[in-house]
Amino acid sequence: MTTTTIVKAPSTTPAPSATAARSGGVATGTKIRVHALRYNPQEPGSVPRMQTYELEQSEGMTLFIALNEIRETQDPTLQFDFVCRAGICGSCAMMVNGRPTLACRTLTRDVGPDITLAPLPVFELIGDLSVNTGKWMRGTSERLQAWLHGDAKARDINRLEERMEPELAEQLNELDRCVECGCCVASCGTARMRPDFVGAVGMAKIARFRLDPRDKRTDDDYYELVGTDDGVFGCMSLLACHDVCPKDLPLQTQIAFLRRKMAGKGWA
Amino acid sequence: MASTSPTIAGVGLADRPRASRVPARLDLLQSFTGGVLALFMWGHMFFVSTILVSKDFMWTVTRMFEGYFIFGKPYPGIVSVIVFGILVMFVAHAFLAVRKLPINFRQWQMYRGHMKVMKHEDTTLWWVQAITGFMLFFLVTVHLYQMLMHPGLIGPYESADRVWSGRWWPLYLVMLFAVELHGGIGLYRLAVKWGWFERGDADATRSALKKAKWALTVFFLALGLATLGAYMKIGYEHADRAGERYVPASVQQGAVK
Amino acid sequence: MKVVYTDVLVIGGGLAGLRLAIAAKRRGHDALILSLVPPKRSHSKAAQGGMQASLGNVIKGQGDNEDVHFEDTVRGSDWGADQEVVRMFVNTAPKAVRELAAWGVPWSRVRRGDRTVVINGQKVTITERDEAHGLVAQRDFGGTKKWRTCYVSDCTGHAMLQAVGDQAIAASIPVHERTEALALIHDGGRCYGAVVRDLVTGALSAYVAKATAITTGGAGRLYRVTTNAVICEGIGHAIALETGVAALGNMEAVQFHPTGIFPAGILVTEGCRGDGGLLKDADGHRFMPDYEPEKKELASRDVVSRRMEEHIAKGKGVKSRFGEHIWLDITLLGEHHIRHNLREVFEICHYFLGVDPVKEMIPVRPAQHYTMGGVRTKPTGESPTLKGLFSAGEAACWDMHGFNRLGGNSVAETVVAGMIVGEYVADFCDRSENDVSIPTGVVRGFLEREQAKLDRLVHGGGTEDAAAIRARMQEIMTAKVGIFRRGKDLEEAVDELQKLLVRSRSIGLRSRVPGPNPELVIAYRTQKMLKLALTVAYGALTRTESRGAHFREDHPRRNDVQWLKRTLATWKNETDTLPALDYEPLDVRRMELPPGWRGYGAKDYADHPDTAARQAEVDAIKEKHEDRFERQRALMPYAHLLPKRLQGRNERIDERFPPAEPNGTPESEFAWESE
Repeated sequence: MTTTTIVKAPSTTPAPSATAARSGGVATGTKIRVHALRYNPQEPGSVPRMQTYELEQSEGMTLFIALNEIRETQDPTLQFDFVCRAGICGSCAMMVNGRPTLACRTLTRDVGPDITLAPLPVFELIGDLSVNTGKWMRGTSERLQAWLHGDAKARDINRLEERMEPELAEQLNELDRCVECGCCVASCGTARMRPDFVGAVGMAKIARFRLDPRDKRTDDDYYELVGTDDGVFGCMSLLACHDVCPKDLPLQTQIAFLRRKMAGKGWA
Repeated sequence: MASTSPTIAGVGLADRPRASRVPARLDLLQSFTGGVLALFMWGHMFFVSTILVSKDFMWTVTRMFEGYFIFGKPYPGIVSVIVFGILVMFVAHAFLAVRKLPINFRQWQMYRGHMKVMKHEDTTLWWVQAITGFMLFFLVTVHLYQMLMHPGLIGPYESADRVWSGRWWPLYLVMLFAVELHGGIGLYRLAVKWGWFERGDADATRSALKKAKWALTVFFLALGLATLGAYMKIGYEHADRAGERYVPASVQQGAVK
Repeated sequence: MKVVYTDVLVIGGGLAGLRLAIAAKRRGHDALILSLVPPKRSHSKAAQGGMQASLGNVIKGQGDNEDVHFEDTVRGSDWGADQEVVRMFVNTAPKAVRELAAWGVPWSRVRRGDRTVVINGQKVTITERDEAHGLVAQRDFGGTKKWRTCYVSDCTGHAMLQAVGDQAIAASIPVHERTEALALIHDGGRCYGAVVRDLVTGALSAYVAKATAITTGGAGRLYRVTTNAVICEGIGHAIALETGVAALGNMEAVQFHPTGIFPAGILVTEGCRGDGGLLKDADGHRFMPDYEPEKKELASRDVVSRRMEEHIAKGKGVKSRFGEHIWLDITLLGEHHIRHNLREVFEICHYFLGVDPVKEMIPVRPAQHYTMGGVRTKPTGESPTLKGLFSAGEAACWDMHGFNRLGGNSVAETVVAGMIVGEYVADFCDRSENDVSIPTGVVRGFLEREQAKLDRLVHGGGTEDAAAIRARMQEIMTAKVGIFRRGKDLEEAVDELQKLLVRSRSIGLRSRVPGPNPELVIAYRTQKMLKLALTVAYGALTRTESRGAHFREDHPRRNDVQWLKRTLATWKNETDTLPALDYEPLDVRRMELPPGWRGYGAKDYADHPDTAARQAEVDAIKEKHEDRFERQRALMPYAHLLPKRLQGRNERIDERFPPAEPNGTPESEFAWESE
């Protein structure tokens, strides 16, 4: 059994230092090998396989830089998704050495010299490292009615806004920081076994709206959305979601909180 | 929940328009039965390990459970009642927990592959829990049936003879590991699942819980192995007189008088 | 032939497109959004620091109102903006913040009492008013007289996109994700929709709509060093340009953000400086006060970026193996502030630089950031030359930013333009004469034309390498069409870009895989981007003055005599290698704020002949009116340009409305109409 110690970055992990001399790091100028899963469902007869690309480690090289270099100089057919390349949009989540994470902010020197890349499981595969997280997230939002159910239409936007305690606004922002990258779902053993499982992202959204006084829904309403074995009661508390979340969302606390509230409805 | 017609339930519309409250109750019950069983196991381990102190002490504890010190004579039926209670808990827990296990090859394959590639401790621990849980379906059932039917055959010699001469020790050895792993992981998971002991820093709490979990598992395994060893030794030495009941020296003297 | 029909086709799923679609949908028109990526991954998300709206809740924003915001924006634009549009914008921005608050954006809020802030390098205690407690807070940003930038920590765009994206889902607005519009379908001066490529299957289909809106954001990827996301390639601009009918306005107006992290170019927010961060040189010296004694680090972005480059040119840059940079020092803000209000900055420094900004300085250098130019539209958002084509947000030039946009005005513009243009799109769709009656033959013609272009790339036997051509284009743009521009460089740039454009017509692919084929995507986009790059470079070459972000070393003065006008570029023929440039004068005689000195930057400009007379007129009107609303109306009436529900005044702590009456309130007129 392999034990892995999980620490939440960036609060406690040592910052990747600007020099390559860091222990376990890959020195600039040495060779790194990217082993990428290749599979194009659009191509008849395509079979999933691993393909290896060799390239030179450059200073500050991220997987964004490395994959683009591969596409430009070695293999123009390699599919992957990047948008912001700054760790804020959530597009580029993929399995890096077996763990889901944001590729754009992963430094190759920290994960090399042999880097295994695969697409996120659970989500529909588009090709190679590209998956359709957007479709899944939209489906989840619709299923969970994950939008603020407020009284916006009754509010006069010319008048002063409704007041809110500054601390509460900060707490809401903390839960609102989810970038829907899909890492939590890909890391979830439950979601792997049961494709209908709502996942941490769904539960975190419900917890976020529940905390928001502007949302007029009650716990009975939320129970309708997540009070099932595909919802919060399906969660087996494996907590990989919490450990891999690139935005350090307090998923463990929020899911536990939601479970208490929803379980409380069992005899209510 | 209002009762509904079998026809409506039969086509999957029983939960409209209001979602069933049953999943919430099942979740609570699963946690509750698991928690009770795990705590019971710790208590149980302490009781059986009294043999490490002395045969007399173990005998005293056993008689205590049979009501000897209240009624003046042992009533093994009391043990049967306790055993029956545990059996009910156990069956309920198994019934609830089986909902979580992989139910077909695809799910099995998914989880195994996932676990191997992720190398994530809590994910792997769940697998251990699932496997040990599955083993316990059989091991515990046999053990509980024995206890239910022969509640009086608990004692320093009685138990040791069962372990050695009755050839129960292989089952107990496997069960020891299965129980301690399953229960330890289960209690840890209960704590993180319901957010116990969090106090603001979930990560620190979890890491402390994880350490405590491992420490307790190691402790109880050590205690369990020592205890099992002790019964095996006694059973081995007592093998030619197997079936003889243990009577403490003090009680023997009293009896002679 | 696959054809999808809808009322409103929105190309681009960022904040502007989402908000526009919601507005149209609420008015009963089916809207459909095309998006390269899931909408919540749009580049709107990268807006960190905040959104300007003159709420005036914080003490340092007291006295703020539409008038101050208007003047700041016009000065920021270096008088290139359409002042009526700026007025429409500043009146709607507070409403947008309040609407977003009701939609769930967790705006950072004012806490009553004392708090310590850093102003001009000093720790200062300020006291927030009791009556402001719990209202939306504002922070300081460059080029503003008041603290006006409403924010959510430093992930404002993210929070806004979450809320607006959620509302679009709530409104059941379909988003066709991973689709790309390759061409607009148009005939006889009327736009009918677009030819669209599915980026999963690679298939083409036609989308036909009454109204088509381009909300595709900026074109930062024309440059090598940019803060923009990789999808900001200006394809929306390009397909408008390729109609030969719609025009692009002011494409030479390109903003460079002072603080892109070096060398990756990832943005760290202006909020760093707004909250008190300083710029320092190789000697650790804070140099901005030497150049800009009044606004210092908080002059407008064009000015700060130029001063930084100027300082580096003087040999004061910090040398590193990647070249030279400047330091951004936010250590004086303290750990708590950085971890709470600049959290994204902290993460970016941590992951991409290995720098802890609590203790260390951040290497920065100006990077391309914003496209002020865009699809030229009327204040309604509709193209004046191609009926039924609308545009909003960064993709549009309606034109509120002129030659330099103020920080915090871009995300503000996205939602404000979405609100305004969305209403006009709905009005357009309401009118029966705008019903679509287009022969399918026309649609097929466009589909076949686009398919033929793709086939030629795949099977045409071309030999040019798209990636190499694109890289060269980006290099030229960064080196020669950057912050400081010279006639000679620009000529060389235009020359070489033209050659690249010609070469791009013989691009060949190395692979023919089915599906999206990333190589094919790069190929056709590169062809389009080159046209845009030429529009930028040629516009910059032709404009022989300096205005806002467009700075010509050989023509350093702002020349209102000759150049107080907007560049309009059209691409007449597919075989052309240059756009046709035309100019649209700005009328000084109608300006509320006639041209003058911006209050920062060089005091070097030639006045328009009408300026003095208009200034006298303005001064006289100002004398006459006590009430600021009457005064404004007398100077430059604009309310008629706004949709009715956005014409209302904005309440502030210092400008309270009478209490709302229980029923029949006058302002309910402006509240949401029922669906």
